[in-house]
Amino acid sequence: MTTSISPPDTVPEERTAPHRMPFWVNQRLGLLVLVIALSVLFGVLRPAFLDQQLVLFPLLRDVATLTVVALAQMVALSVGHMNLAVGRMAAFGALFAGLGYDRLGLPMQVGLLLCLFAGAAIGAVTGWLIARTGVSSFVVTLAMDFALLGLVSLLYSALTDDAAFTTHPSGIDQLRSYSLADICAGPICGSPAVPQIAQFTVLAMLGLGFLYGCTRIGRELLLTGANPAAAELSGVPTGRRVLLAHTLSGLLAALARFMAAAGTGTFRASIGDDFMLPSFLGAVLGGTLLTGGVVSVLGTLLGTALVGVIRKGLDLLGVGLESLNIYLGCVLLLALSADRIRAVVSYRKVVRST
Amino acid sequence: MRFPTRSVLPGVVAVVLLATGTAACTYKNSGAQSGGQATPAARTGGGAELGDASGTKVALVPGGAHPYFQPWKTAGAAAKKTYGLGAVAFDETAEWDQQKQNNLLSTLAARGYNAFGVFGVSPTDINSTFADLKSQGFPVASLGSCPAGDKDDADFCLSTDVQLAAYKAAKAAIAAMGGKGTLVHLTGNNVDANTQLRIKGVAQAVKESGGKVKLLQTITDIDTDLQTAQKAVSDLMAAKGGQITGIVATAYNPAVAAADVVKSTGSKAKVIAIDDDAKILSGIEQGTVTATVVQNPVGQAEIGTWALALLQTKQCTVRSPGVEVDSGSFVVTKANVSGYDKARQAKTAQLKQEFADKILSCG
Repeated sequence: MTTSISPPDTVPEERTAPHRMPFWVNQRLGLLVLVIALSVLFGVLRPAFLDQQLVLFPLLRDVATLTVVALAQMVALSVGHMNLAVGRMAAFGALFAGLGYDRLGLPMQVGLLLCLFAGAAIGAVTGWLIARTGVSSFVVTLAMDFALLGLVSLLYSALTDDAAFTTHPSGIDQLRSYSLADICAGPICGSPAVPQIAQFTVLAMLGLGFLYGCTRIGRELLLTGANPAAAELSGVPTGRRVLLAHTLSGLLAALARFMAAAGTGTFRASIGDDFMLPSFLGAVLGGTLLTGGVVSVLGTLLGTALVGVIRKGLDLLGVGLESLNIYLGCVLLLALSADRIRAVVSYRKVVRST
Repeated sequence: MRFPTRSVLPGVVAVVLLATGTAACTYKNSGAQSGGQATPAARTGGGAELGDASGTKVALVPGGAHPYFQPWKTAGAAAKKTYGLGAVAFDETAEWDQQKQNNLLSTLAARGYNAFGVFGVSPTDINSTFADLKSQGFPVASLGSCPAGDKDDADFCLSTDVQLAAYKAAKAAIAAMGGKGTLVHLTGNNVDANTQLRIKGVAQAVKESGGKVKLLQTITDIDTDLQTAQKAVSDLMAAKGGQITGIVATAYNPAVAAADVVKSTGSKAKVIAIDDDAKILSGIEQGTVTATVVQNPVGQAEIGTWALALLQTKQCTVRSPGVEVDSGSFVVTKANVSGYDKARQAKTAQLKQEFADKILSCG
């Protein structure tokens, strides 16, 4: 879903656009078509692309994790901020989960709660600093990134021999490898391509969709992002909304890190180091504005999926390291240019018809 | 500021939802297998001559791009030709990310590769990857690095003993320093299990000096690229160059940087490097680098590919699955810089014999 708040100086839609844009201009629909078209193309070029166990399952597991990373960034973007510490906040949260499993023998669910709490807490501290000091989120989150980089490495080195917590709580291996094929209702089972770990992504998407689409707090978050001064004058407690956005961002980052750790095996300091770029990529491709005020939960999933599908397809085509990122960039540019051309053409059609 | 009920409530709801999700939705797996390796059995006797292996497609997958792995490419191609394998791929697109490497391995499996030689990005995570591949029936070798801890879920590990190699390098440095002085250790990513082993190896050698050698500093996280390493070594020499009598570098970029900086500053510090980059070899010939510890990546790829083909064609099984084999490390000085490759080739031949006689069971 795309949720936005019109800036106060814009004229209401019904007065300026009596002719609604055709449904096929919808950016999410464009992304969906692109994802499906590329999947079909890769499937035709390499039928192995449709292998449920070897290709689709790991692809969807990756997309599920990176979507949560992108949602963490999207929440910060919704108030017109950015979270450059998304990877380190994730590492900070996961450190507590690993510590809980390794030293305290916590069950998986309790460790997950601890991980989410730690992520939310560090996000809240960041949000509070931004709200109280008025310093740009870019600077505060960058500083937080450096601070956590040192702290997390130091703690892992001090607390472990191999710079990782290797204890596997009961259930985490299953979370990593089980798919919907393992859930059966009588003789009917789910698809082996869909990983069970995606349950977290679905829950996060539903939660955020509800928050932004159906609640006053969600609308206040977007208004804070669209025009903080107007929001303040309208009685929106912008400081608290900034605090909430960064708390949720930290919580979602920690969740993504838990999913990544479950996906690879252990809780270590370096996993998720490269979360930052995919976090922006998924959110922005999906239609979330860098300037705040507009978010798209479903678009974030589709944006992340688009990148995942392109990369997996190129891997299957055997594209080497030298060319992989060039092709990835080119395909993304082509895909988004096509989307933009489609939007411009449709806009002109609407203008002509009026 | 009042207690932010509205700010906290959505977070609490999200946490409860997520915790409920994980509690409710993990169900038993069917555990289907899709591959085709025979269950290891206690077969004995027979030679280790590889028969028809045209159906064997071996993938050699390093953790990412690094000069250390370049010999894998040529050794893999040579092994394909020598043993008549169906294909040997060298794929370095994992970009030092365990999740990307896992994805890459499954993609290669989908492309028809049925035996895997892997340098795991994360030594603490790679057992899960090996277990996944094995559960699908593929033979797997851990090449160049063994999993951290006592357990190895690959069929075998053929790797440099990194702690021993670091120990050898530090001993060589201490010997070059005349058994006393101040040593600096330059190495890679601090939060990597192999780096921790290297740190232990150097510490052990320093401890054995009985206090005559002091480990001034261990500088980590400078193997990302040559520029980072050069800056770190230049800063070090500017700040403490007068005190330093020995430098031991146990990662590639710091080794090349140390050789460069010592040469350009005219420092008297004894440098012990790692691997056989042209700059390091030239430094040894000119005397600016005292010695280097050379590893055996060619042997890892050549013997690893051959042994994987024997396992994939079911001609052999591994006697003790998860066995760890040292692929060899050699101290190269000015005295043996021109002929060290012969020692390496001899070690590779010895490894093949060892696999045929002791590691594999063929019948």
